[in-house]
Amino acid sequence: MRAFTYTAPSSVEDALAAAGDGSAYLAGGTTLVDLMKLDVMAPSAVLDIGALPLRDIRYDTTGLYIGALAKMSDTAAHPLTATHYPVISQALLQSASPQIRNMASIGGNLLQRTRCGYFRDPATPCNKRTPGSGCPALTGSNRTHAILGTSDACAATHAGDLAVALTALDASVRLRDQSGTRALRLEDFYLLPADTPHLENRLRPGELVIGVTVPALAWAKRSVYVKVRDRHSYEFALTSVAAAIDLRDGVIVDARIAAGGVGTKPWRLPAVEKALKGRPARPDVFKQAAALAAEGARPLPHNGFKPALLRQTVIRALTRLAGRP
Amino acid sequence: MTNRVDGPRLVTGAARFSGDHPVDGLAHGYLVLSTIANGTIRSMSADGALAAPGVLAVFTPFNPLRYAGPWAEGPGYFLYGPNRFPLQPGDRQIRHHGQVIGLVVAETFEQARDAAALVETAYDARRPNASFADGIPNAVVPPPLTGPPVVDVLEPRFGSIDAALAASAVTVRASYSQRPEHHNPMEPHTAIAAWDTDGKLTVHSGTQGPLLHAQEIAVAMEVEAESVRVISTYVGGAFGGKASTWPPAVLAAAAARQVRRPVKLALTREQLYSVTGHRPAVVQDVALGAARDGKLLAIKHDCVSTRSNVSSLYNGVSGYSLGVYPTPNVHAGTRVVTLDIPPATIMRAPGEEAGSFGLECAMDELAHELALDPVALRLANDTDHHPTNGGPYSSKHLAECLRVGAARFGWSRRKVQPRSVVEGELLVGYGMAVGVYGANRYEMTMRVSFRNDGTVHVGAATSDMGTGMRTVLSITAADNLGLPLSRVVSVLGDTRLSPDPMPIGAMAGAVGSAGSSSVAPAVRAAAKAATDALILRATQHGRSPFHGLTPEEVSYRDGVLSANGRSVAFGPLLTLMEVDGVTASGTSTPEATPTHAMSSFAAHFCEVRVNRFTGETRVARMTSVVDAGTILNPAAARSQIIGGVVWGLGQALLEGAEVEPATGRIANANFADYLIPTNADIPDIDVHFLNYPDTIFSPTGSRGLGEIGAVGSAAAIANAVFNATGIRARDLPISPDKLLPASEE
Repeated sequence: MRAFTYTAPSSVEDALAAAGDGSAYLAGGTTLVDLMKLDVMAPSAVLDIGALPLRDIRYDTTGLYIGALAKMSDTAAHPLTATHYPVISQALLQSASPQIRNMASIGGNLLQRTRCGYFRDPATPCNKRTPGSGCPALTGSNRTHAILGTSDACAATHAGDLAVALTALDASVRLRDQSGTRALRLEDFYLLPADTPHLENRLRPGELVIGVTVPALAWAKRSVYVKVRDRHSYEFALTSVAAAIDLRDGVIVDARIAAGGVGTKPWRLPAVEKALKGRPARPDVFKQAAALAAEGARPLPHNGFKPALLRQTVIRALTRLAGRP
Repeated sequence: MTNRVDGPRLVTGAARFSGDHPVDGLAHGYLVLSTIANGTIRSMSADGALAAPGVLAVFTPFNPLRYAGPWAEGPGYFLYGPNRFPLQPGDRQIRHHGQVIGLVVAETFEQARDAAALVETAYDARRPNASFADGIPNAVVPPPLTGPPVVDVLEPRFGSIDAALAASAVTVRASYSQRPEHHNPMEPHTAIAAWDTDGKLTVHSGTQGPLLHAQEIAVAMEVEAESVRVISTYVGGAFGGKASTWPPAVLAAAAARQVRRPVKLALTREQLYSVTGHRPAVVQDVALGAARDGKLLAIKHDCVSTRSNVSSLYNGVSGYSLGVYPTPNVHAGTRVVTLDIPPATIMRAPGEEAGSFGLECAMDELAHELALDPVALRLANDTDHHPTNGGPYSSKHLAECLRVGAARFGWSRRKVQPRSVVEGELLVGYGMAVGVYGANRYEMTMRVSFRNDGTVHVGAATSDMGTGMRTVLSITAADNLGLPLSRVVSVLGDTRLSPDPMPIGAMAGAVGSAGSSSVAPAVRAAAKAATDALILRATQHGRSPFHGLTPEEVSYRDGVLSANGRSVAFGPLLTLMEVDGVTASGTSTPEATPTHAMSSFAAHFCEVRVNRFTGETRVARMTSVVDAGTILNPAAARSQIIGGVVWGLGQALLEGAEVEPATGRIANANFADYLIPTNADIPDIDVHFLNYPDTIFSPTGSRGLGEIGAVGSAAAIANAVFNATGIRARDLPISPDKLLPASEE
């Protein structure tokens, strides 16, 4: 860990004014402090925003709003989330551990860094950590790495669960800097690695995530988050699927599907959604739709199972939603 | 049921582990590790580190620590094999990734850690030899370790084991593999070393065998063994990983001598993976030949283990098949592949853990082939004599373990046809396996002391590594002296508690599931000796009411001495006599040439649920029935078996280090990526003890049970996975991807 200054701004305005080159916002600290200890991140100034008033969770006709500093555990347990968007609650409850969920914030969760073992080990090269140094993951230990959205520079998996659920629901992040406030759809917020894997999102220097908006979607009550992992708890996804279907008289009128554990960012599956629309909720339909889930996948030497596992995860999620195990 | 005597101290944080001891003037060390696996250090620059705040010294091959080396054969050599110790003068060779190449000593831990990041190292790197798979075709037969690496027992009519297999009505053959495993004790290895002005060294260091640890440190420091005191009062888990001496204790002692300050050296979680030992990776080929009725005619068990170029230990797992099922023809062979990887060491059920996985999975495959119930197949091959050495078992009730276990578990509800029970998303399967672990017991000397405050102190230098040894000691002393547990104080984990010379087995302390079996009979002997000494003293002391009587006239019962109608409790008696206490030692020695074979036995039953879409295996419940002689403390014994079974669960479903073939780096050397079971992975585990005293083995009738839970339990899980899915997952761990072909219909 390197020396840094620590301040705790008392307002959003103060925080934005204090931000500068080499500064980092500290919310729950579950990623930042971890990576500072590993010498992966070395901010010169840490701005503790934990006390800022960005914690409210509210629901109206336009949808759900979650303040960036709402805790993962509070958000998961909130009746508005659990009632209107079960997929969000489930994604959160299958993340991390209870201790971490009690500390970690929603904004911080959306900005969590990849779990790629090379990114987290400063003794190895990593294009994301040190641009241009190379990517050992492409030939090394890559069982958990991405198969979608990868490049020759990086195959690091986006680690989140919440972001997958929010991507399926067309959610947006609200961002603020000294020039004002803007909203970006989550799908547009995250960047593909291409040849600049150190750039992970469209946040401007000093810009702060202040909240998340989830559009109203009545049929999101029928939604699910399926997470497949080696260990039953406290483990990242090999694959995951966030799914919601509008099911009427046994027919899928509309569907929202996104996948995690497979992409360099949360991966929306529009082809699968399209293949489900207007079709009966039946195993053969699920299978046909799931066959499109891993289109374009580029497996690495040790994650060749992921396309098949992703297809199976889609089928499992749809089967659950249809109420027929 | 007896609660742990140290339970409140442990759960309130009052118990002091090795790093917790306050020491005046303490400096802190932090290790610098190599980032290549093979090559030479060209240069190291410590300038930046030396200029950092609080730094006292930076030791590297260019400014070496002074201690004896190359330390190839410490006192523990025959138990654990030689280890090459790092940071020796002039040694710039890199032999594995994560090798110790530097030690920074500073005023605080954080200063040492941050300065360590400033040490710059330039290497002449070579490509390491780190691929186990590439080495297997050229594996070689190693020197013997605990037994010969190749054993053949054949009927005269067969020229080879293959001929015996060919003559069998039914044969099965399969290959099983597993990756290196790491102990991951809750407490990483930590040592505080302090020299006094007389050149005496005190080391606080968590270890399984304080006496052996002290001797090894003494050899390294080139001082007399009596000059080294090891204090290891509480140990935060060991599992074999703290049986021999690892760099923290030796390097802390050497650094403390050179900086003239006490030094604390604590490994980080990540550093454990390359600075301390692991269980070697192993691939095993098992072939079984049997008659149609299931009676075994031949067992051929070959294995290939990794071996580190800095240590001699390998995982000779095939020898397990010499001691389970009787068969007229058996072959057990071990070969090794020597690699540029971190050192290996013993780990809970070394050999038996993997060997039982191979043998018991193969038995399940044979049962399936023969259309026999797996329990019936085991019963058909049960024996009351050791399969290869021929001696009768001192006490063996494996058949009862099988019958009782089957009944408790509900084995009769198992469907013979794999993949025939579907509950919603889940495929349900049952599996079972047995485990055998040799009963070990070492000569042990204990001390029992009657104190004038009415308590009894009992102790020795051996260690409680978290298993409950302290409680067993108290229970045994209380039982033998007729005292309530509250009046017995057990003291452990300090070399000063065993001033008398001991054989090396006893010095090794708590290893080989021998802890309680060695200690309990010695406590019994010491209690008798102390009672005799107390009576003798009471007849000789002028102020004693028993003065002048012969010892035969005085009796001891439940803490009270009586003669001629007079009774005095020992506390008031000693007070009257103005004596602090009366102490005596007692030694218990196993038979030098045992007439019997002695082992603990277990039968494990398991229900798994495998997701039929995505292949995740979850263990729903397990039943383990254990035949380990007299159970001294049912609560702690149950915990030991649960712990062992959870190890089997980790072995079967989760664990394994990923050594990168190209770099020799362990890719998952941390708690996030090296998966061990969480509470959510662990089901209800039903543990039942048969509790038949084995008085041929020891006067207290108890055999070891620290490891038997980890023998066979992984196979029971894998066999249940087959019953659930129809897939034989022979390469561990059984992760979801390995069960996927069944899922993607």
